[in-house]
Amino acid sequence: MRWWRSVAHRVYSFFHKDAVERELDQEMCFHVEREIAENMAAGMSPEEARRAALLEFGGVERFKEDVRVARGVNRIESLLADVRYGFRALRKRPGFTVISVLTLTLGIGANTAIFSMVNALLLHPYNFRDLDRLVRVWEDRGIDEGFDARYMAAADAEDLRTNSQVFEKFATYRMQSFSMGTGSEMQPVLGGKVSAEFFDVLGVSPASGRVFTATEGQTGLDQVAIVSYGFWQGRFGGDPAMLGKTISLNGRVSTVVGIMPKDFDYPVPVELWVPLALSPEEKRDRTQLTESALARLKPEVSVAAARAAMAGLSHRMEQDYPKTNSGRIATVLQLRNELYMFTLPLFLLLQIAAGFVLLLACANLANLVFARMIGRQREIALRAALGASRGRLGQLFLSETVLFSFVAGVVAVAASFASVRALRTSIPAGWTKWVPGWDGIRVDGNVLAFTVLIALGVGVILGLATMFHASQVEPNKALKETGAGTVAPGKRRVRSALVVAQVIFALVLLVCAGLTIQGFVRLASIYQGFEPASVLRIEISLPEKTYADSVKVANFYQELLRGSSSLAGVQHIGLVTNPPASNVDNDTTYFKIEGQPALKTSEMPSADLQIASPDFFETLKIPLVAGRIFLDADNADAARVAVISRGMASRFWPKGDALGHRIRLGAQDSTETWLTIVGVVGDVRQNWWNPASRPVIYRPFAQSPQRSMNVLARTVSDPMGFVAAVRDVARREDPGIALRGVNTLEEEIADSIAIVRIMGILMGVFGAVALALSSIGVYGVLSESVAQRTHEIGIRLALGATPGDLRKMILGQALTLTGIGLAIALPISWAISRAMASLIFGVVSVDFAILAGFSALLLVVALGAGYLPARRAIGVGPMISLRYE
Amino acid sequence: MSKPTDLVQGTLDLLILKTIALEPMHGWAIARRIRQVSKEVLQVNQGALYPALHRLEQQGWIEAEWGESENNRRAKYYSLTKSGKKYLQSEQANWERLSAAIGLVLKRA
Repeated sequence: MRWWRSVAHRVYSFFHKDAVERELDQEMCFHVEREIAENMAAGMSPEEARRAALLEFGGVERFKEDVRVARGVNRIESLLADVRYGFRALRKRPGFTVISVLTLTLGIGANTAIFSMVNALLLHPYNFRDLDRLVRVWEDRGIDEGFDARYMAAADAEDLRTNSQVFEKFATYRMQSFSMGTGSEMQPVLGGKVSAEFFDVLGVSPASGRVFTATEGQTGLDQVAIVSYGFWQGRFGGDPAMLGKTISLNGRVSTVVGIMPKDFDYPVPVELWVPLALSPEEKRDRTQLTESALARLKPEVSVAAARAAMAGLSHRMEQDYPKTNSGRIATVLQLRNELYMFTLPLFLLLQIAAGFVLLLACANLANLVFARMIGRQREIALRAALGASRGRLGQLFLSETVLFSFVAGVVAVAASFASVRALRTSIPAGWTKWVPGWDGIRVDGNVLAFTVLIALGVGVILGLATMFHASQVEPNKALKETGAGTVAPGKRRVRSALVVAQVIFALVLLVCAGLTIQGFVRLASIYQGFEPASVLRIEISLPEKTYADSVKVANFYQELLRGSSSLAGVQHIGLVTNPPASNVDNDTTYFKIEGQPALKTSEMPSADLQIASPDFFETLKIPLVAGRIFLDADNADAARVAVISRGMASRFWPKGDALGHRIRLGAQDSTETWLTIVGVVGDVRQNWWNPASRPVIYRPFAQSPQRSMNVLARTVSDPMGFVAAVRDVARREDPGIALRGVNTLEEEIADSIAIVRIMGILMGVFGAVALALSSIGVYGVLSESVAQRTHEIGIRLALGATPGDLRKMILGQALTLTGIGLAIALPISWAISRAMASLIFGVVSVDFAILAGFSALLLVVALGAGYLPARRAIGVGPMISLRYE
Repeated sequence: MSKPTDLVQGTLDLLILKTIALEPMHGWAIARRIRQVSKEVLQVNQGALYPALHRLEQQGWIEAEWGESENNRRAKYYSLTKSGKKYLQSEQANWERLSAAIGLVLKRA
């Protein structure tokens, strides 16, 4: 509490200055009076006594000042004076103020905008209680980037749940789409099948109604549903009597028992949730990887401890179920990390780039401030000569720079409200559907604190730099010099170093921007191996209830294809389970090659599995490499066949003899029928994060009909013009059928890489800002240094130097500084491109054209920045130059 | 501006605190008491006394109150605060340890 009293005391003294002064006077008077009385008592005359007392007391004013210092009043007072002075100084030089505040605003604003994204998307993706304790439970099987580790078998999940001591709660779920309603009213809805603990694990409760009970997780008792707020509002108009209503899902009637709060959309925005009711045989299954698992750790359990526990359990399960579980290692991953596993590096990169913009702005600003300091050398010297201590001068400069970075901070915060809104609204919804949490981007307390912190930090750093600069002023010398301040070589070196630093930052930023934009352009064209132009994509999900029989499913699609292909303008039409750029991974499957030795399940090769109709390949123009594609004759009654991708063929049959070999899908003990490889087709990039040539097995739709398929149609004109016609054909077959995800394939591709596109745009903006800031910086320093050498230039001209010589000299200086900067920046940029290449999944690679191009650009900018001051200096003429002071 | 060394400054603070530990006193009386008790050895300069008093007040070790003096004049009386008492104890202990140590060194060396 003592410090508080001390501050209170100081503040009291400050605000009651008059009273304090009066008391001080009284105290002194009293002392002197007592002294006089004492002296008189000792026998002095009144005059003598008074004289002796005052003599003894000493200089009254002098030590009153000491008392004031002791009370700490001065410090507040001088600080206020400094701030006032700072304001006056900023007002007096509006040009300097506007430029430096703008520069800083750009730097701080860039950081605020990016941080608001990071804050919303990475730090607070979910509002769940104790988010750090929420984990996804994965099962790593050590194949293909561990991507399908996200799913596990039901029996494995149950074992982990019952046998581990690290979880407080554990839940499993599956995403599933349903057909809601009956007859012609039937609509597809996206839902989740969740175990009873699902909502408890996340710590959310319904806005009204209840969550599922454990008994509702049994087959036959599971006809209940919880709906999302959006579903309730959108489909039932916010009906107040929603609870207890029944809805028909896949032909079964379910009672609505709860409505979730508005913002609940885990794991993706779904419309409703139903209990995950597994049959006894599903519960025993260890081969189908169907469940996603989610858990809340016990409070005292760390993620590392949970991982260790999972590994231990996995080893036991490996021994207990060697056939299925060998090589499976369960692990946990924090919920907050899962979402942005792939985009985190991109955001980090953006934040780093924003940091570079700030550094660049600071370097620029430091230059401006130093240039101003040179003009103030005499003032500083005068202050120092009049007795200002170094600390006192420091306080002056610190309060000045903190003041204007504070002004810049305020402007930046105001600007960030606007820029964050622009960021959110200017990016179309189609792009952001793959960016969960996008709508949560806003300027909140965290973002404000971040901005204020940066502004203060910049102010302090600049202030310290200025103080250092000022402390090197020698009053004696500075006061003696008559002309405009000259610059000591040491100081010129500091400013040259700043130019070099600017060149470095600028090149690094430009290279990053160039690579990201190039990466985006490449991403857009990365979906190679097929032609996306003029292709329509439609998703169809047949209801389980009415299409239980696979023959019925096959018939529906056969009729749909037959009806649609006869439409005028439709060139080709085909079916596939997962079209490219869907941002959904293909199903993967183990397979066995006939004639090769039996392997443990974990060592078996795996491949993506696609189901496709014969015309699919022609629709996307996927080239046939060898053999044949599917024929209509490859129907349910014919011999089972498969077509494989070129990547798969060269990996498993390097001699090029894949045709005619037989493979069997599924684990080691699979009883599937053997498939004969009849054709090899070109590789297709499935999603932007996948490597180009994942092995893919295609099976004919007729031999393996699926209820959910994607219809792809190649049309002669705008694909969207054919939607109505295709819908009519489908409705003729089944009036209740609903079409989903209707879009052109080109649009889908653009949307699927939205995050990289957004990044490309932002990086482009940063690059432009970097270029502008650095050219201003180089120009500023050169013109300043030329102005200071006007006298010298005059002498040189008078002594016979030609304008050409002088131009060469000044431009030489510009090129030298830029050259040094480039020499340092090139290796850094190269290293950063290498790092980026590994971050952005091979989209970006070291590109010498970009490095060379931007280096050349910076050199040109430096030449331009040097040319103007050079021309001015030479144009002045020796007489004026010599008189210039 | 030369600064008194820490030892001198700390010593004066200690003397002031100790002097007003018994009863509240005004500045002049503090100076006189120190002079008397030290048998005229320690002369406290007013130029040092008042800044020290105000600094101690600022630091919260002592507090001041206006009161009636022995000759019926208004005078500023200083007294120890609670934390000031604690501070005095620890400072006094420090001082005793220090002077004993210095004494030892001077005797032995």
